[in-house]
Amino acid sequence: MAIELKTIQHLCELSKLNYDEAGLEKVMGEMSDIIDLMDEIKSFDLTYDDTKDNNSIKFCDTREDVAQPSFPTEKLLQNAENTDGCYVVPKVVE
Amino acid sequence: MDITRAKIRDLRAALDSKQIGAAELCDEYLKRIDQKDGEVKAFITVTREKAAEQAAAAQKLIDAGKATALTGIPIAVKDNICIDGVKTTCASRMLENFIPPYNATVIDKLNAEGYVLLGRTSMDEFAMGGSTQTSAFAKTTNPYNTECVPGGSSGGSAAAVSASLAPVSLGSDTGGSIRQPSSFCGVTGIKPTYGRVSRYGLVAFASSLDQIGPIANDARDCAIMLNAICGHDPHDATSARVNVPDFTEKLGQSVKGMKIAMPKEFYSDDIDDDVKQAVVNAAKSLEAQGAQLIDCSIPGLKYAIPAYYLIACAEAASNLSRFDGIKYGFRGEGRTFDELIRDSRSRGFGEEVKRRILLGNYALSSGYYDAYYKKALALKQEIIKEYNDIFDIADVILTPTAPTPAYKIGAQDNDPVKMYLADICTVTVNIASLPGINTTCGYTESGLPIGMSVIGRRFDEATILQCADAFEQGFTPVAPQI
Amino acid sequence: MSRYIPTIGLETHAELSTSSKVFCTCSAEFGGTPNSRCCPVCSGLPGTLPVLNKRAVEYIIKAGYVMNCDISRFTKWDRKNYFYPDLPKAYQISQMPRPVCLAGKVRINVDGEEKDIRINRIHLEEDAGKLVHDEVNRISLADYNRCGVPLIEIVTEPDFHSADEVIAYIEKIMLLLQYAGICDCKMEQGSIRCDVNISIAPKGSSELGTRTELKNLNSLKAIARAIEVEIERQEELLDNGEKVVQETRRFNEALGETTAMRSKEDAHDYRYFPDPDIPPIIFTEEELAEIRASIPELPEQRVARYVEEYSINKKDADIIVGNKKICDFFDEATAAYNNPKAIANYIIGELMRRINLGEADMENLKFGGAEFAQLVEFMQTDKVSQANAKTILREMIENGGSPKDIADAQDLWIKEDNDLLAKVVDEIIANNPKPVEQYKNGDQKVFGFFMGQANKTLKGAASPKAIQEYIRKKLSE
Repeated sequence: MAIELKTIQHLCELSKLNYDEAGLEKVMGEMSDIIDLMDEIKSFDLTYDDTKDNNSIKFCDTREDVAQPSFPTEKLLQNAENTDGCYVVPKVVE
Repeated sequence: MDITRAKIRDLRAALDSKQIGAAELCDEYLKRIDQKDGEVKAFITVTREKAAEQAAAAQKLIDAGKATALTGIPIAVKDNICIDGVKTTCASRMLENFIPPYNATVIDKLNAEGYVLLGRTSMDEFAMGGSTQTSAFAKTTNPYNTECVPGGSSGGSAAAVSASLAPVSLGSDTGGSIRQPSSFCGVTGIKPTYGRVSRYGLVAFASSLDQIGPIANDARDCAIMLNAICGHDPHDATSARVNVPDFTEKLGQSVKGMKIAMPKEFYSDDIDDDVKQAVVNAAKSLEAQGAQLIDCSIPGLKYAIPAYYLIACAEAASNLSRFDGIKYGFRGEGRTFDELIRDSRSRGFGEEVKRRILLGNYALSSGYYDAYYKKALALKQEIIKEYNDIFDIADVILTPTAPTPAYKIGAQDNDPVKMYLADICTVTVNIASLPGINTTCGYTESGLPIGMSVIGRRFDEATILQCADAFEQGFTPVAPQI
Repeated sequence: MSRYIPTIGLETHAELSTSSKVFCTCSAEFGGTPNSRCCPVCSGLPGTLPVLNKRAVEYIIKAGYVMNCDISRFTKWDRKNYFYPDLPKAYQISQMPRPVCLAGKVRINVDGEEKDIRINRIHLEEDAGKLVHDEVNRISLADYNRCGVPLIEIVTEPDFHSADEVIAYIEKIMLLLQYAGICDCKMEQGSIRCDVNISIAPKGSSELGTRTELKNLNSLKAIARAIEVEIERQEELLDNGEKVVQETRRFNEALGETTAMRSKEDAHDYRYFPDPDIPPIIFTEEELAEIRASIPELPEQRVARYVEEYSINKKDADIIVGNKKICDFFDEATAAYNNPKAIANYIIGELMRRINLGEADMENLKFGGAEFAQLVEFMQTDKVSQANAKTILREMIENGGSPKDIADAQDLWIKEDNDLLAKVVDEIIANNPKPVEQYKNGDQKVFGFFMGQANKTLKGAASPKAIQEYIRKKLSE
């Protein structure tokens, strides 16, 4: 099933990815094939029950509430454009 | 000293007997990297200075009689495991200059042993792929035939061990990324049970599937590495609170009476005859040692690829959202926040990473969630159940590691679906959180290695190591002529 | 009288007063220089993982109990995915299908009428960071100190029909959270924040109207005013035959109006899914019982105790309990001097009066309940006069110190000078034959006149009791 243009555009919006026209065309084709492969799972007819997962832990295995010294600010920011100990972000448009 | 396919235990003996110094040993490997890595391209970064420092520190421990299993042992580390002060790129333009300010827990553990870091190995970008050809920096080749892929995503780690550029390495495995390149490169690699090794510091691809593990020359070296890196970590809530045995304990024990299951779906027509034959022969050799072979079935396998890709990509889409160019990583251009992150992500990520992000967001987005993501979780429960049923009647499961041996570079380019289907033998092990080990069980006519996988019960790495080791004892591996 | 009836629902975020953040060990304290209370985990560095804070879970369970919720025996965490520069991981860890608390209720009282507000759910999540906007350079500066501070979100059913009800509810839950010891409820620091959903419908209509959401309301005054303004706006729209648009609006306090926030609301698809880094939790009955048993005395229990054990009237008890700091102060004072009624009277009559005048502040009080109790005791035992007690209290408010030291230093004790008492009262009686006559003829009211005159002249040189006795004695001679 070919994926629709507006679906791929929506996915690009959710993913914060830009494609030029040719790129979008190409990825649409690829995504269509991939989704065909994914669609095979639709014929599997069991339903998911999250209470049956066996990955839960006991309450007592959570972390005790003890504050520890934080990290040096400059080390945290060593990979970022920063000023006055803050990350620099272009203006957010609302 | 000949370091060709040298084992940790031999290096240990050489170091402890002062036959060789830690710095000298490290130099041997660095020299070989200088000679051979131009062809293999296993490394993204070679950490010479750090290696020298660590070797000197290790030598002090050895001289003081305080050496442990890995003191002074040179190790290569996949480029998605954070090391404080050492560039960690995930083979992505996005993290080309990223220097983590902290250590992954496995690195802390190796440091405690006095290991020596040789460098950072190449991989598929963000561990997404099975060929190491999506690496933005080093498209690793297969040491047995440099026109072929080394497998992936831990292709650099597998090729480095295969070409004797390192005696042992760390990889990570989300859907086969340790086992499949180990198979292609003719080495032994184990994906431990989910929760066995802390994921703290492993740049996440799919959090519910990722697991760090060693790639080495044999099962015993894998066991030695596991002894060093396993255990509950307070920084990883998914790391298990279970006892860590001595993983070398069952090595050398006979497989007499061991029940080995061979699910028929893993031996279908989708698997190369060469591969099938080699694995069946290996099974027979184990049978000859007293193991019992059991026929069985795992019907859920037919849905495994979509289930795996839906879960893995959904998690990946979310995990990779943090790469926005603000805090770290490639910072694009833009007058607004939205423009900046779009530009950073569009130029920082490669095509395969982008496809998987799109697929993940598709699976999670409103209107599709139940049909895809939830369905995949249901299938996960079913596959776990089917494996449990098999483990009711068997101790381990034997399968091929990949449907084919290493293929030519470029053969799967531009065909993501074909690439995804090639993961069929490995992904269910991650889906079911099981441990799996690859070891070499034969070679093709053209000399390419063929790998088989031994899969065990959760937290029963000891038994799969025992089984792989038993096979290795009767098998003579051939090192690549590189 | 309006033709419409408003229907309002509330989402309240409360920061939990844990020591560390909800998913890492950084301090959860308010403030700090930018990015000084951060680590690789709360800064969203690649490879880091969240580890859940046990106390944060305990606190939300307590919140659930004090709001009469059902506590889930199985709970898990989800990721809410969206890009915003105050959210370093680009997802917020929250809870979607399996929150810790479900289906509770909170009783409110508006003008003497009681009403139950239904709680839909309470879930645990992490707070986001803060952005400071630099308009000149067209940039924002991101500070992640607040990232990962534990938050609970309390979601009500749409059970409110007026701003008064909403305010009564917020005041009530703030009190409950404070008494349960899980949130300091400092609205000015943002530790309590509310989003309000409002719709209106013609009276008698069984269908709800289209709702709007008001965000970023940070004081009770703003909330009340914003609700009123928004109701008026919606009424005007409907009256003019226009439609209410479902949207998020911001309240401009200075202009007294709500305006639509420019946002791509339709593009919001949060793609919630279970966070694979945080295992779900299963609670045992014992664990829940233990947490429940550790909840401190709640407001209603305290009122009941004051009325029953201390014989304080309900109105006064409500006043004291209505402020947790004052109530704790009262308990401390009562522990030091067992005269709850006198202490309550002096707290309400004097201390709270000064607080209302802005002279004192419970946050920075320079003395404790024990010192205050001593002052009340001095009055009750005729060691200090009422007038001098006020002087002492003023000194305590301004500079702290014990009542005894202040009375010593400023010579404010009652002297019990019987000679002076006799002299002063004798003079008053001698100089006022007429009132003396009236008293002797049975007019008891003039007694107050003599007391007043004597007090004025004696200025604390004798206790009121001694003065009273002496006057009575003289007048009956």
